[in-house]
Amino acid sequence: MTPWQERRRAYLAMLRVEFANATHYRATFLVFALQSTMPLIMLAVWWAATEDGPIRGMGPGDFAAYYLASLAVRQITASWLVWGMNGEIRGGGVMMRLMRPVHPFLAYSAESLAQMPLRLLAALPPMIFALLWLGSAHFTRDPLLLGLFLVSLAGAWLCEFAILVTIGTLGLLVESSIAIYQVWLGVHALLSGYLIPLTMIPEELRGAVALLPFRYLLSFPIEVLLGSLSRGEALRNLGVQWAYAAGFLGVALAVWRAGLRRYQAYGG
Amino acid sequence: MPAPAGAPAIEVAHLVKHYEVHHREAGLLASLRSAFSRKRESVPAVSDLSFQIAPGERVGFLGPNGAGKTTTLKILSGLLYPTSGRVRVHGYDPQHREAGFLKSVSLVMGQRHQLYWDLPPVETFALNAALYGVPEDTFRETLGELVELLSLQGVVEKPTRQLSLGERMKCELVCALLHRPRLMFLDEPTIGLDVEMQVIVRTFIQQYNERFGATVMLTSHHMDDVTALCSRVIVIDHGRIQYDGDLGALVRRVCPAKQLVLKLAQPVPRERLAARAEVASLTEAQATLRVPQEALRTVIPQLLAELPILDLSVEDPPLEQVLRELFAGASPLGGPAA
Amino acid sequence: MLRYLRLLGTQLRLSLTLAAQYRTDFFLDGLMSWFWLGFNLVPLLAVFAHNERIAGWSFAEALIVMGFFAVLEGLLESAINPSLRSVVEQIRNGTLDFVLLRPADSQFLIATVRFDFWRMLEVPGGLLVIAYALHRLGHLPSIAQVLISLGLLLSAIVFLYSLWFMVVSAAFWVIRVDNLTSLFTSVFDAARWPVHIFRGAFRVLFTFVIPLGLMTTAPSEALLGRLAPSTVWISLGGSLLFALFSRLVWNRALAQYTSASS
Repeated sequence: MTPWQERRRAYLAMLRVEFANATHYRATFLVFALQSTMPLIMLAVWWAATEDGPIRGMGPGDFAAYYLASLAVRQITASWLVWGMNGEIRGGGVMMRLMRPVHPFLAYSAESLAQMPLRLLAALPPMIFALLWLGSAHFTRDPLLLGLFLVSLAGAWLCEFAILVTIGTLGLLVESSIAIYQVWLGVHALLSGYLIPLTMIPEELRGAVALLPFRYLLSFPIEVLLGSLSRGEALRNLGVQWAYAAGFLGVALAVWRAGLRRYQAYGG
Repeated sequence: MPAPAGAPAIEVAHLVKHYEVHHREAGLLASLRSAFSRKRESVPAVSDLSFQIAPGERVGFLGPNGAGKTTTLKILSGLLYPTSGRVRVHGYDPQHREAGFLKSVSLVMGQRHQLYWDLPPVETFALNAALYGVPEDTFRETLGELVELLSLQGVVEKPTRQLSLGERMKCELVCALLHRPRLMFLDEPTIGLDVEMQVIVRTFIQQYNERFGATVMLTSHHMDDVTALCSRVIVIDHGRIQYDGDLGALVRRVCPAKQLVLKLAQPVPRERLAARAEVASLTEAQATLRVPQEALRTVIPQLLAELPILDLSVEDPPLEQVLRELFAGASPLGGPAA
Repeated sequence: MLRYLRLLGTQLRLSLTLAAQYRTDFFLDGLMSWFWLGFNLVPLLAVFAHNERIAGWSFAEALIVMGFFAVLEGLLESAINPSLRSVVEQIRNGTLDFVLLRPADSQFLIATVRFDFWRMLEVPGGLLVIAYALHRLGHLPSIAQVLISLGLLLSAIVFLYSLWFMVVSAAFWVIRVDNLTSLFTSVFDAARWPVHIFRGAFRVLFTFVIPLGLMTTAPSEALLGRLAPSTVWISLGGSLLFALFSRLVWNRALAQYTSASS
């Protein structure tokens, strides 16, 4: 077997085992899906606020489409990787992981990707509900844009993965990166469009926020799906998103090397 | 950078390892202060270790807690990097964790697990086979041999959580050896196991070593692990090698007294025994005496003549005692190398 | 009484020491509690940027609800949740028995296992928000109104603790309760807003099934003098009944647990 064939065999094996493992945690996925109440609560609030007239071009139906799409996208891109990594570092399981001849990032990515079928299952209900209740008027019907949406979804997942794996690795450099993770979750909720659509952010700040990477984690895929962007705009932003993804991966690898070095100094 | 044939499996030259430790004091005020600034201290764990291990050897690392055994093991397996000194395992520098190195060794730690809890062990086995690049047919062959050696027929297809502790441990061993490593690091492999399981694990490691020629490096608190498996021991204390050589020679050198175990027909008062030799332990049915090697010829006939002895045996002193005397400085060895 | 105060003091000191050990957590926890305060305000600001009134509530009035929410959330995150997580962990490890062996009321012991100090900052923060909102409205509540709203707040706290004990009791049987706490926190999030914003099924849910409306909206209405007197008695009575029920469940669960321990 050539080295590439070997790597492929190894990765497929990891996917297979992680998928089998994930099915044992079906219940956890369900609970996690049910926990995402924030978009629904915000939907209720905006609905009440826009009853008498749309705000910045968004009426009750638009908010409904937005928040339901947001639920679906979040299911796909979120992950409890940071908890897992910190648990491993604190519990010492990281030792066995380091003795394996595979880069831990590959293992973590396999773990995350193997969950995708279950995540897709959890993402379907809000989308189906949205289509049944609102019809397809709020969503784009352009096949190219729909294709770009899928690419942007993958890009969002990649960005999130790189950031999460970085935060998890910080657990090797500081005692526990859970607190850092919670800060990140808070900032993410504010700036990615999870809490409020980015169009609702005041004019002065909107320019800056649109450039920040947070937008590309959640809001951008939704914007594509809802047809808020033209083909050209979607393509251009896709470039930015994947550039961010590459950047974050680079940072993640560098942080990992630093974290590993520190681990090798103290042995945990 | 794999090593040429005939080269030592492990080469360690002047290995030094210091840890930086944070000073932690008890008390609320100290804890609060420590949140803002910590005092750092450099603690030496290992100082100037040098030794070589040939392929196929079975070597035991002995030493009191905190002596540096686990540190050395972790440096050799690449989990720690040395402060200074040269370390080569199969020609690789372990801290770089190259794939070739990782595939040639295996680390078994008593309390750590590789197996997925909810899945049958075979799933983890197949995963490891893929990760380590073991061809399918070799994998089947090795798996068959290991299952046979450990009597695991029918066990490996059940989910790990349904297995007993002993079965789980055996499966962990299989998992660790599927890729036929040339070198096994064993850190406290029998910890938490009952006596029967300890024997099984020891026998298995011995058989594996004999069948596949793998080098074995073992640290353990169970002296029986070392006595049963290792012909060579390296004794570490305060981060330095106190002894490196044959186990039997170590025992003889440190503790030249033999143990005399007497089975008594009737209880014997301590003073009668103490008159002849040092009494290590005494019950109604058994007495253990310590007698210098040279004195055995005279003491034994006297004891046999005077006391109601049913049975008598001469044994080497237990390793624990040897080590205790070694570390207490009772028997200076005059130099690290054997 | 003195014994209980001393016990509480010991528990608090222990939690503080523990918090100080994880240095980064210590700092970030501190930052976080202020961050959450600000965080709570952003959606409110965004929603009211274009509307004077939503569902009959003005910005300043809704701010009062937000303030009460911060007070309760601060209590939840600093006192209730840490202990809950700790206790569930202890049940899993079987080390709960050590806690229960101490000579004091079991409910007191369990409830004071662990505190997260920095999250308590949210409580005075919430009170400041309420004070600011009242100032903005130019409304000074009467003593009676303040007392009633405090009473309702107390009733909400009693309700939360009772719910907490029900969850821990469930942990004796079900073990995997961690998800319940985060589920509860997610649902509790709706209490940020005046309950009148929710329509239809959700309004019923948040008024009768999980009385979030009573916890934050009612105390706010009390301060504003808009509360129907009957609501006060319903709330207080309901909480007390629930507390009694929860204590029954707790004692039953505990009896079963200690008798079954082998």
